[in-house]
Amino acid sequence: MRLIAKLDVKPPNVVKPVHFEGLRKIGEPAYLAQKYYEEGADEVVYLDIVASLYRRDILLHHVQRTAENIFIPFTVGGGVSSLEECSALFRHGADKVAINTFAVQSDPSIIDRAAKVFGSQSVVVNIEAKTSAQGWACYSDCGRVPSNRSVTQWVKEVEDRGAGEILLQSIDCDGRQRGFDLELVHTVVDLVSVPVVACSGAGSLDDIIQVAVTAKPSAIAIASVLHYEKLTFGDIRACLRERIAETIS
Amino acid sequence: MKQKVGVIDYGVSGNMLSITRAIENAGALSRIISRPEDLLAIDKLVIPGVGSYVDGMEKLHESSLVEPLIEFCYSKNKPILGICLGMQILSKVGFEYGETKGLALIDAEVKKVTCKGVVPHMGFNTINPIKNSYLLKGISADDLFYFMHSYELCNYTDVLTLTNYADHTFVSAVEKDNVIGVQFHPENSRAAGLTVFRNFINI
Repeated sequence: MRLIAKLDVKPPNVVKPVHFEGLRKIGEPAYLAQKYYEEGADEVVYLDIVASLYRRDILLHHVQRTAENIFIPFTVGGGVSSLEECSALFRHGADKVAINTFAVQSDPSIIDRAAKVFGSQSVVVNIEAKTSAQGWACYSDCGRVPSNRSVTQWVKEVEDRGAGEILLQSIDCDGRQRGFDLELVHTVVDLVSVPVVACSGAGSLDDIIQVAVTAKPSAIAIASVLHYEKLTFGDIRACLRERIAETIS
Repeated sequence: MKQKVGVIDYGVSGNMLSITRAIENAGALSRIISRPEDLLAIDKLVIPGVGSYVDGMEKLHESSLVEPLIEFCYSKNKPILGICLGMQILSKVGFEYGETKGLALIDAEVKKVTCKGVVPHMGFNTINPIKNSYLLKGISADDLFYFMHSYELCNYTDVLTLTNYADHTFVSAVEKDNVIGVQFHPENSRAAGLTVFRNFINI
């Protein structure tokens, strides 16, 4: 099971939204990325959560500084709307790019184009799911803007288009530290064959074990419990090892 | 004097910074290679690994790097390290988005991974050496390396390491004379990955 540290960045700080709102400042992304790397994170995800909201480019120098001292995969997203931006991110230290708003609201073909040029394995589609009367709906711009796409339809489409991984966030559960949306994670894992990263909701070891066992994602992303120093990667990995008959990854 | 390690620039793609800072951390100078003449001033060459087979080869052709690269390998006899896609294009032919001819430095072909596990194979895994190599000096059986790939290299003659994923065994490193390829990303594999770079630099 891959364990991923997720940094929601409002440059120059890592922030932690609750339900994607009410931002709290946590610290510098470069400092936190290195700290989590040293504590044993398998990967770091960096999402500039205001980049697409304010329609400005992701701030590359913050990305580069964050990449500086971590020798593990580094995924970067936030307002990515062209292959040139993807390319710039790779040049500033990204190993994978995450795409959401532009694909879900404007032009999904960016996924096909990015997969062809950069390879599927480095194209991550970021999904912001929110419960609605018709099931889960895809949102964008940090949970502010609804789209007309359902999560169950969209995940299959992005897989067909060449996405190599799905970063599955839940607006309902994000920042609350009260457990994952297990049904959401389980449903998406069943629908696609690419790796699914379960995000949003880790508040305790039990939450993490529960999503690992019942929904079986390929990876789990963790934010609040790390930022508030409730858990470390060491704690989580030891617990996973003990409680799940786990082979490597 | 520090070694100069060239890193092929694919133009639009490639996790360039990740590779160059890992090389520098391992004790060498890195040089970006985007034109044939850039190859003259380096001791060793890394072909990095983000992109698709067809695009990678297209970009090498566009930069007129294919012939000089083969010459760098055969006439100059200098060490080459291919990483992920960079390893895959060392082969004769790849089957990603159609059929594409590779550099043919290794007798192999590249095909989609088919196994019962999730593809892409993404995450940390071990490598099992089947012969000795300077590249693996100081690497132990439980060291973990990061994999991120949907395609694999099929080769039977120059295998250096094998890796098992979801009951499927595939070639995770090849070595033929001065040409080495690794399917994993040493730049993303913590201290063990930096050791691999250090070994390559210290040949």
